[in-house]
Amino acid sequence: MDLAILKEYLPFLIPLVAAQVALGITALVHVLRHPHYRFGNKVMWALIVMFVQIIGSVVYFAFGRGEE
Amino acid sequence: MRNYTVFLKKEIFEYTKTYKLLIMLMVFAVFGITNPLMAKLLPEILGSLMADSISMSLPEATAFDAWTQFFKNATQMGLIVMTILFSSILSWELSKGTLIIMLTKGLSRTVVILSKYTCMVLVWTTSIALCFGLTYGYTVYLFPGDLTVNLLFSTFCLWLFGVFLLAVLLFAATLTKSNYGCLLITGTAIVVCMLVNIIPATHRYNPISLATDNLGLVTNSIEVSSLYCPILISCLLSLFLVVLSVLIFRKKQL
Amino acid sequence: MMGILEVNQLFKHFGNYEVLSGLDMDVPEHSIFGFVGQNGAGKTTTMKIVLGLLKPDSGSVTVCGEKVAYGETKTNRSIGFLPDVPEFYGYMRPLEYLKLCGEITGLTKARTKLKSEELLSLVGLKDEKKKISGFSRGMKQRLGIAQALLNEPKLLICDEPTSALDPIGRKEILDILLAVKGKTTVVFSTHILSDVERVCDRIAVLHKGRLTLHGTLSEIKERHRHNGFILEFGSLEEASLFENAEELRQPAISLSRSGNSVTALVADHNVGGHFLLSVLSQKQIVPLKFAAMEPTLESLFMEAVQ
Repeated sequence: MDLAILKEYLPFLIPLVAAQVALGITALVHVLRHPHYRFGNKVMWALIVMFVQIIGSVVYFAFGRGEE
Repeated sequence: MRNYTVFLKKEIFEYTKTYKLLIMLMVFAVFGITNPLMAKLLPEILGSLMADSISMSLPEATAFDAWTQFFKNATQMGLIVMTILFSSILSWELSKGTLIIMLTKGLSRTVVILSKYTCMVLVWTTSIALCFGLTYGYTVYLFPGDLTVNLLFSTFCLWLFGVFLLAVLLFAATLTKSNYGCLLITGTAIVVCMLVNIIPATHRYNPISLATDNLGLVTNSIEVSSLYCPILISCLLSLFLVVLSVLIFRKKQL
Repeated sequence: MMGILEVNQLFKHFGNYEVLSGLDMDVPEHSIFGFVGQNGAGKTTTMKIVLGLLKPDSGSVTVCGEKVAYGETKTNRSIGFLPDVPEFYGYMRPLEYLKLCGEITGLTKARTKLKSEELLSLVGLKDEKKKISGFSRGMKQRLGIAQALLNEPKLLICDEPTSALDPIGRKEILDILLAVKGKTTVVFSTHILSDVERVCDRIAVLHKGRLTLHGTLSEIKERHRHNGFILEFGSLEEASLFENAEELRQPAISLSRSGNSVTALVADHNVGGHFLLSVLSQKQIVPLKFAAMEPTLESLFMEAVQ
């Protein structure tokens, strides 16, 4: 894809990336600040929420996060 | 009634504090943006993948393709994410024991069930409205002039199916102690609905039609009136399941 | 005195195991009622039935003259409950949590605020701005008491409030319980007898599904007093001189000696006591100690759960 096409889709990409990054960062901060998980460890969850977009964060908040 | 608002407020507060609201909104927002984008980009990506020698004319993407994405993503991924997120709606409070104190403070069990259900429906409504809004806006921007029919009605059907699914989920939550049990029962219920749907005669009465006929509605290949029956049945079933959940929870040993 | 909590012929079983078999209990107003029993004796079960959280097989429970109905019960409005391991919404701060509790019990906003501040300072959490998720076990226990007292309950039920705490935490909780005495009736279950001795004025021992011992502490001790005396002497000679005295060789008196002290069991407290004293003066022995035998709570408990 060349630059022109990329430019054309900027109005989509910006909010899209923003939403994904926001979700990923929220999850990452939570992973780092609450080092108790139902299973797995810090490194594993950090990698999951950073590299598996959306689903990684969902799985972390739904299953991975430990008791407060 | 006053306790209902108090506990509902607590539920909403809880969803914001435990990031559940954020996840729902983000997931649905991402879908909302992706739908029209995928519709637009898919032919181009396919085209660039093909060798230049094979010249093949791909059909031009239309608004319909965007809505295809919307009804596919929202029905499948969206509902799955929602089910997973809400599966611990009761089990978490019961296993931790946070609800015991609230109940001994005079909170009625009926109020607990009703406010939890209301909160789930509210979150679902907001999420699907956000997703619909984004898809709609970007579709109009990308495919100006394309017209679609029955869009709102079709989305309403999908929304109602979500409401029905949440009633099933709530009922499952009152039956079991763990969120996995809750997921299992809800999943089984949906699979049963799908299996029953194989028999064409049942299609007119099956709530799952609300989530499978959306595209047909948009292309006008399915009559709006054919969905009146599933709508009525879904409403009645949801009501029945919520009432049943209340009755079961009132008699549950904690 | 009106009974604030009355339990009549309560039966409850889990599977084949009968936890409660005809429990009768009566808690008068303004007492601190120690509910003692071994682990698994059915203390928590009883409390949960009182709170309408569990359904009894048969029998009835009355709180402040009103019958407890299983499931939805109005009686909970006059009860404050502290579970054995109190758990709260971890994402809230103490004040927010108490505000929620106040709204649910139906206190006005101003009243809730006033009471919360008062109670948080009573339990020593006044300046705690942390989220509850960061609380220690003892802090949660103290917040639990604040929560239970928020609606000024007539009856405060605590399920093993001290079992999991260190000695300082335990003392703090007991002091709080003592402080609220007079305002409310306290029922607390425990298996730590020294706690009971420290704060309770009434106790009940639950064993095999029924009460094997109940009453005020002094009443019970009175009832179970063995008519006997403990005499401690300055030297072994004096002790054996006393033990071997001819006058004491009679069926109504039995003696046993260990080291310098002699235990004398007599048939009647007064007559026997006078007689022992007269023997002492006859033999011209002055004991270091002459004391009536007091039953310890531990011995009473052991006796009750035999």
